[in-house]
Amino acid sequence: MAVLKLDHVVKRFGDFTAVNDLSFEVPEGGIFGFLGGNGAGKTTSLRMVLDIIRPTSGAIEVLGRKPGRENASQIGFLPEERGLYRRMTVLDTIVYFGRLKGMEAATAKKEATRLIERFGLSEWTKSMVEKLSKGMSQKVQVAAAMVNSPRLLILDEPFSGLDPVNQKVLEDLVLEMAAAGSTVVFSTHIMQHAERLTDRIVLLARGRKVFEGTQEEARATLPGRLRLESQADPAGMPGVLSAKRGETDTGWTSWEVSLAPGSSPGQLLQTCTAQGFALRAFESQRPSLHDVFIHLVGAGQETVQ
Amino acid sequence: MRNILLVAAREYKQIASTRGFWVMLLVLPVVIGLSQVAGRFFRPTQESAYVIVDASGDYAPAIERRLEINYQRSELSALSGYVQRWKLGSVQPDALWAKGERWFTDDQMDQFIASGGIVAAVEVVKPHAPSEAPAYEIDKRNYVQAAMPAGVAADQGPDALKESLEPFLKDTIEAPDGPRPLSLAVYIPDDMGPASPVRMWTNSTPNATLVDNVRNEITRVMRAKALEASGLAPETATSIENISAPIMLSAPQQGAGREQVVIRSVLPLAMVYLLLVTVMTTGSMMLQGVIEEKSNKLLESILASIHPGELMHGKLIGLGAIGLTILGVWVGAAVGAALSVQGVVADIVKPSLAAIEPWMFAAMLFYFVAGYLIISMLYLAIGALSNSLQDAQSYLMPVVMIIMLPVVFMMVSVAQQPNGVFPVVLSWIPLYTPFAMLARMGAGVSMMEVIATGAMLAAFVVIEMILLGRLFQASLLRTGQPPKLGGFIAMMFGKNTA
Repeated sequence: MAVLKLDHVVKRFGDFTAVNDLSFEVPEGGIFGFLGGNGAGKTTSLRMVLDIIRPTSGAIEVLGRKPGRENASQIGFLPEERGLYRRMTVLDTIVYFGRLKGMEAATAKKEATRLIERFGLSEWTKSMVEKLSKGMSQKVQVAAAMVNSPRLLILDEPFSGLDPVNQKVLEDLVLEMAAAGSTVVFSTHIMQHAERLTDRIVLLARGRKVFEGTQEEARATLPGRLRLESQADPAGMPGVLSAKRGETDTGWTSWEVSLAPGSSPGQLLQTCTAQGFALRAFESQRPSLHDVFIHLVGAGQETVQ
Repeated sequence: MRNILLVAAREYKQIASTRGFWVMLLVLPVVIGLSQVAGRFFRPTQESAYVIVDASGDYAPAIERRLEINYQRSELSALSGYVQRWKLGSVQPDALWAKGERWFTDDQMDQFIASGGIVAAVEVVKPHAPSEAPAYEIDKRNYVQAAMPAGVAADQGPDALKESLEPFLKDTIEAPDGPRPLSLAVYIPDDMGPASPVRMWTNSTPNATLVDNVRNEITRVMRAKALEASGLAPETATSIENISAPIMLSAPQQGAGREQVVIRSVLPLAMVYLLLVTVMTTGSMMLQGVIEEKSNKLLESILASIHPGELMHGKLIGLGAIGLTILGVWVGAAVGAALSVQGVVADIVKPSLAAIEPWMFAAMLFYFVAGYLIISMLYLAIGALSNSLQDAQSYLMPVVMIIMLPVVFMMVSVAQQPNGVFPVVLSWIPLYTPFAMLARMGAGVSMMEVIATGAMLAAFVVIEMILLGRLFQASLLRTGQPPKLGGFIAMMFGKNTA
């Protein structure tokens, strides 16, 4: 069953089309990456999913229902731009958001305390948010998003602003939530995180979907690449699209080889062996999501590798 | 409703945790407390004692009688007002206090004193007073004659008397009802004349009324003596001296006189100021709260869980509860002070409370809450439209002016003519209805007018909630330049520009 389904969704602000004919599905369980550069329409799409804004046309289904606050008890949401009530304690903040999502006071307090401990904020439990560092505030906000153990956890750019240690804490938590059965949807333009965490991705560019599928399927959209060292030019070999000459050392030359669509490095290695094509090195290069992004979206879009 | 109350509770706690709120909440109770303390320590005491050495023996009894008549007359007049206010005249229709009169001749006063004076009269009235009426309190005598302290040389002439009384004039003296400051010592020589005048010594706070009373009474007795000396019979001389123009002074019925209007207006007028001050202060706090939520993008997290309408209503209820808390504490402090202690506040508030009819309290509370909602809603909408406090200031300035100026002019106008054209017209403009109706309440407004303006006000609050509610919701996630007038109208009539 799909926990999230967008069907030909369009959102216009005046003359500007922020989301254009977007359709995709998020199956229950696992981690789903919602990728795109700045201004690709990720936040607008997520706001529509949460019923903060309404689509101009198209249909959205969240947990089998129309978007609305009735779903709030089963959804956790961490917005891209973070903010908390400055003059509220850490515990009260998390409990407040838990209560807004329909939790009973005692349950919300218990779960908030657990998350505070998990994030290493125990000694700040009764401190005002205004006294926390930026990193700590972000943890509080993540805790507020997760306090209701949501069935669907939506994280909009969750890693921005966090230092590497806290990024790791958050990554672990996301994996933990997914392992516990939650479906995690997170948007990012940092491909590294998507690479490490997601099972499936949707790639957006200028409000349109340019790819939907697994990471492997995404990589398969790029021509295969490898580096080899040989005495002869590999350009004429079957399956080789192009070969770029590198340095030569005692008769052996280094080549950057691009494979033709449908060819794999394994097939080329097999051909080389069969034809007696002498090789001193053969390194298959796995394209990164960043490469995929640049390939599908164009270098003009901003991503971080 | 659950979410609305959650938001309201959070807003309440948020504002209640600020210093500004506590300063505001406690300022009146502290002022009342200080006024009590200051009153006790710094108010010059009116109660004092005097001593007389009357070598002739002709004047001291006359002076004592005069002071007693004045005291009893003042009490009788006050009792007459009390009887009139609580409709107790039928208890003893022939009594001097039963007819609503406020002035009494010396003969009448002599009879009154002979029949037990104010103490006996109050005993008659007391059992018949309705339960809601405060007990009539008999004031103490301002001046009491004290016996000459032991060791004072009373029979050795004025100079010796002056010398031996000096320490007492700087201190208190034992009077029949306990120690009192000695404010006047009088020496009347046996052979009064230009060579041997009446001598008076006062303390550092001489009491002009007492001095006048003593001097006038001595003069009156001297004239009577002179008339007698000219051959008139003593009775004729006395009756000539006692001639005074017959006056019957009546006070207006309750609610009709200016005094009563002023008394009845104290509480409603205080509520107008209270409404203005609390709504403007707490409204600014809420406005800052909305701007905080907008500027640090908190709203998105909140709006993912609750509807914008719930957020708005929660904020209004939270803020309303703050207003009612301040109102409750202020009115509670004033009423508490009025009922439990003596002093300036009690003198002002007690009669005001007594003069207000019960239905007026309900109307006052309604106008207060409605006024609070109308203005809070404006602040809320301004907060939602603004991206920063600077933005908010530019909207706030004209709005505050539009509210404040007519209200201030109206207050001045109400003081002169409570039911003048300006206050009456303002009563029918919803933005000003709560202020104008509260301000006019003391002068007496009809229940019909209260019901009609109340219904209009309720309708206005509903319409304002709908229109400004839409503006609020449409503005929440807006960024960039605030919209123009057309944009406001589009938002209010449901054309969401988000």
